[in-house]
Amino acid sequence: MFFQVLLRVMTSSDLWQATLQFGALLLLPALGAVISERSGVTNIGMEGMMLTGAYAGVMTTLATHNVLLGVIGAMVAGGLMALLHAIVSINFHANQIVSGIAINLGALGLTNYLLPIQTNGQGVAALANNLRLPTITWGPLARIPFFGPMLFQQNVIFYVAVLILIGTHLLLFRTNIGLRIRAVGEHPQAADTAGVNVRMLRYLCVITSGLFSGLAGAFLSLGIAGIFNPNMTAGRGFIALAAIIFGKYTPLGTAGACLIFGLGDALSTRLQDTGISANLLSTLPYILTLIALVGLVGRTVAPAADGIPYRPESE
Amino acid sequence: MAAPTMQHPSLASKFLAWIDKLGSALGRPLFSVVLALVAAGIVIIITSQGPLPARFADVVSAYQYLYAGSFGNLQSTAYTLVKVTALIFTGLSVAIAFRAGLFNIGAEGQLTAGAMAAGIVGLVFSTWPGWLLIPVMVIASALAGAIWGGIVGVLKAWRGAHEVVTTIMLNWIAFFVAAYLIDGPFQAPKLSEQTMPLSSQATLPFVSTFYNQTLGIFLPQIATPTAYTVDLSIILALIMLVVYWFITERTTFGYELRVIGQNVKAAKYAGISINRNIIATMALAGAMAGLAGSMRLMGQPPYQLIGPSFANDTTGFDAIGVALLGRTTPIGILLAALLFGGLQQAGPYMELLAHVPGDLIYIIEGLVLLSVATEFLPAIQRALPEWMLRSRKPALVPDSIGATVTDIPHGNNSEQPVEQATSGDKTATRTSQEE
Repeated sequence: MFFQVLLRVMTSSDLWQATLQFGALLLLPALGAVISERSGVTNIGMEGMMLTGAYAGVMTTLATHNVLLGVIGAMVAGGLMALLHAIVSINFHANQIVSGIAINLGALGLTNYLLPIQTNGQGVAALANNLRLPTITWGPLARIPFFGPMLFQQNVIFYVAVLILIGTHLLLFRTNIGLRIRAVGEHPQAADTAGVNVRMLRYLCVITSGLFSGLAGAFLSLGIAGIFNPNMTAGRGFIALAAIIFGKYTPLGTAGACLIFGLGDALSTRLQDTGISANLLSTLPYILTLIALVGLVGRTVAPAADGIPYRPESE
Repeated sequence: MAAPTMQHPSLASKFLAWIDKLGSALGRPLFSVVLALVAAGIVIIITSQGPLPARFADVVSAYQYLYAGSFGNLQSTAYTLVKVTALIFTGLSVAIAFRAGLFNIGAEGQLTAGAMAAGIVGLVFSTWPGWLLIPVMVIASALAGAIWGGIVGVLKAWRGAHEVVTTIMLNWIAFFVAAYLIDGPFQAPKLSEQTMPLSSQATLPFVSTFYNQTLGIFLPQIATPTAYTVDLSIILALIMLVVYWFITERTTFGYELRVIGQNVKAAKYAGISINRNIIATMALAGAMAGLAGSMRLMGQPPYQLIGPSFANDTTGFDAIGVALLGRTTPIGILLAALLFGGLQQAGPYMELLAHVPGDLIYIIEGLVLLSVATEFLPAIQRALPEWMLRSRKPALVPDSIGATVTDIPHGNNSEQPVEQATSGDKTATRTSQEE
């Protein structure tokens, strides 16, 4: 009975479609944070940036009746939260963990505070179909059995996320800018001596991470859910953090981790018949990450200057 | 400073020195709170309607109701103290880790572990008499918290796993395991996502009820004891503040923690065992947070475990604000817990009466955290002319908490995550060696 259900669930195209969708949702904030952490700024505020993005996306879409403007609004909102993180952690040498927690708490407060004000206490209704991010169906390709719906019938942001993944990998490991980013994250003094503008580069990296998180928020509210609910990110920003560590701070490794965690997310709602508790299954990403940290599957080491404010000697 | 001519400083100069110390200790936290309140006031002004004077009036009334709802009368003060109790326990948990340069974001998970342990003991042995059951539950919660925190210490000491990451992971594991236990093995019959309430002898009485039954026999009785909901756990919280003071200020362990927190290398040279102290600190921190869990379960209605309550609770994160704002001193933690507890209690009250959404208090909390973490004051001081500045004592909280202990040598720190793929990398590596 158990194995029959498991087999049926595992071989359904629907499961893998959901896996890739949830994986992409985790991948966006995770890739942003990879860039930020590689440049030496710890970012645990993805949860808050995503939530702000989800909120701003819905509100902008409702105000302008244009979902593209909604996505831009979401990215700007996420970027502004990241800018705040960048200012306090780069210019004011704030503790980056505290700043991240402040952003998570503040974003929760801000969205819950603004929601009743902007909607007269009603909350938002589900968005009409033309105000949601569309699902792209690639004509006949989508009719390929099993792989069709999984790869060729996904939300538009899924494909954007794949492009961003390739772009981030190439940026970090195949370009001069990527080399500088990594140098700044490992040894800012040396990079500074070599003529790299440490602070400017860190600013750009942190803001990029906010833009990606905001986009993920739009994916969640405008694409997957079609509505904004209070605290709708439900800890996904933290799973993204786990994915970065599990993926050893590389874009491709992180993408692999996001797929595994996305599978867990997709499975947790589909295994009720087997008697496996969804709650216990949800612990899997975190347990796997702890194992990765301990080094049973190759130990994860953070960039050397990660989380340490850079103080030039003139200060 | 005291006059050098006298053998003992006079009482007056001692007093002046004390005032000076108090001023410099209170300066930065007070500045942060004021800054956060001003910024939150600006948020209200932007989001409320009407002409500017009416908007200013909104700000004033919002803050008036925040005060009235937290410390305005005895009843609301009693409600506030309930929140303060949990914040003292968790605040101490975060603070003792800070002393050793460790960042405990896991107070919420440790609190969950403590509440679960106490709840399970209370449900399984529900027929035991109170004098036996209550201490066993309290000890179980402290132990469970100590184990949950101790895991973090062991992972750090054994493999150098960063405590910020491990505590976040353990938080979520605790939330989901708790949700599983509450909605599975310990579920109340026919009710989802909650357990049976504790039996009555396993609960702690309200302070007012307890007073009526003891001192009240000889002194005037409190007329409506159930109106003042603060329970006896506040007493244990205050005792813990003293215990914390004793541990950090009067024991070798506390001294070693501070040395490790300020300078790991110096601590190693002095022969202090870093690993043993890290594990002990995290276990102690976990025990404190675990107590917060059992105390809330046993002290407050409905005296039962509820499924998703832990994942939505922010006490463990508010505690970081409490510890930082209180600069990890016992008095500071008490004051900061009063502030944060008051805000939490008064949020819904303000929403009801001032028509400002109660979630404003999370904006305030976030701003306080941001402002405490940010070195605004030193930045301003750098801009001020030199004669306006006085000498400052080093902060008890290390500048780069979380970063401090990461570079404990573990022998195998030589592996670098940056692939040496591109030739340009060598430039950076060589420069670093020349330094």
